[in-house]
Amino acid sequence: MSMVPPLIDDDLLHAWVDNQLPAARTAEVEAALLRDPDLAARAAAWRAQNLALREGMDAWLDEPVPAKLVDAARAPARMPHWRSWAAAAAMLAVGVTLGWTGRDTMLAREGIPTTFAREAAFAHAIYTIDARRPVEVSASDTQGLVTWLTRRLGQPAHAPDLTSVGFELVGGRLLAGNEKPTALLMYENAGKQRLTLQWRKLAPGTEEAQFRYDVENGVGVFYWIDDACAYALSGSLDRRQLLAVARVAYGQIVAPDAALPTK
Amino acid sequence: MAATLPHADLIAAIPRLRRYARVLTGEVTRADDLVQDTLARGWEKRALWQAGTDLRAWLFTIMHNVFVNQRALARRDARNVSLDDDEGGAGWQVPVQATQFTRVELIETMHSVGRLPAPQREVLMLAAVEEMRYEEIASVMGIPVGTVMSRLSRARDKLRRMAGEAPAQLKMVK
Repeated sequence: MSMVPPLIDDDLLHAWVDNQLPAARTAEVEAALLRDPDLAARAAAWRAQNLALREGMDAWLDEPVPAKLVDAARAPARMPHWRSWAAAAAMLAVGVTLGWTGRDTMLAREGIPTTFAREAAFAHAIYTIDARRPVEVSASDTQGLVTWLTRRLGQPAHAPDLTSVGFELVGGRLLAGNEKPTALLMYENAGKQRLTLQWRKLAPGTEEAQFRYDVENGVGVFYWIDDACAYALSGSLDRRQLLAVARVAYGQIVAPDAALPTK
Repeated sequence: MAATLPHADLIAAIPRLRRYARVLTGEVTRADDLVQDTLARGWEKRALWQAGTDLRAWLFTIMHNVFVNQRALARRDARNVSLDDDEGGAGWQVPVQATQFTRVELIETMHSVGRLPAPQREVLMLAAVEEMRYEEIASVMGIPVGTVMSRLSRARDKLRRMAGEAPAQLKMVK
């Protein structure tokens, strides 16, 4: 009986090299390796890489652990991180209180529209009232949404989890910015109030700017610049409520929560 | 929800965290700072760890995110962080007593890995050295499995080419 030998694609070969195949597939690959010297050479080279990497890097595991890392593994007695919630809250408070004179000038010089807050409030108003299709990609596919926004913005995107302040992710969409696209995520609470978080990438090297609050056409907007991205959180909430949400969003954007392992 | 993290497991995870950090940052001092930040963040986020799940994978995920964020904060191009230039891999020691390979071969391999773009280096290390399943790697890095596979392909093919160019050729082993 003659059978066409199964084609061994790259993924299968990698999985064989890394011992990630079930027995039946392993046999299939190994039969192919016997038939095909080029494939065998490739597999052997990859296995050799694995062995060399392991031999080189396994030795690192035996190095003595610095005391500061042993300390860091202990439960902290105080908030250990300079970018902790407390720091974020303090930064917010300072930013809101002082108002940051001179910032507009700086922003204008960097070519960032100081109208970003106005644009954000505008987009917020347009899309949050759209009952039928407020977002392009719904929150049912958060990972897909994040991947899509990351690709389109050319910047790692994160969807902050705002459930701790009562808001669930509805989904997201992409807006045409002046030069660069703007990402928009929409959130909703049990009372059907909606928030939007919008951000766009700025020129590299743009100075960070702390929080600022504006009201545009009845929509409250907190906006800031971090990591060469301009962010705006908009909603028809009072300033204190919006600040509470902005704190959570800001904290997660600075260092997003690690996704839980999937199993 | 976990009110605390298992201390003994955390301590046991440190050497692997240091290794991963060294592959990410390409050097020792910054690597240990990254481990320290990762542990601190792990404690801050301890409520998100589910007891009984893989603590290493959880910490690796945190480390990956902290690294990506810090790199963005430092506004460093990946090229500046990775090891494209000759100082690359300076902190990457190879064992004095090599067994299956000569020291030169190991040094060549480490140097070549250091010249890979950080995301490829990261995928390769997690697959080859940590022996993580591809789905786990995807979860740690927050990318689709297909991206893991394509990075792995690119990393391995580049290493193979570099080994071909290198004066001390990486020999095949059976």
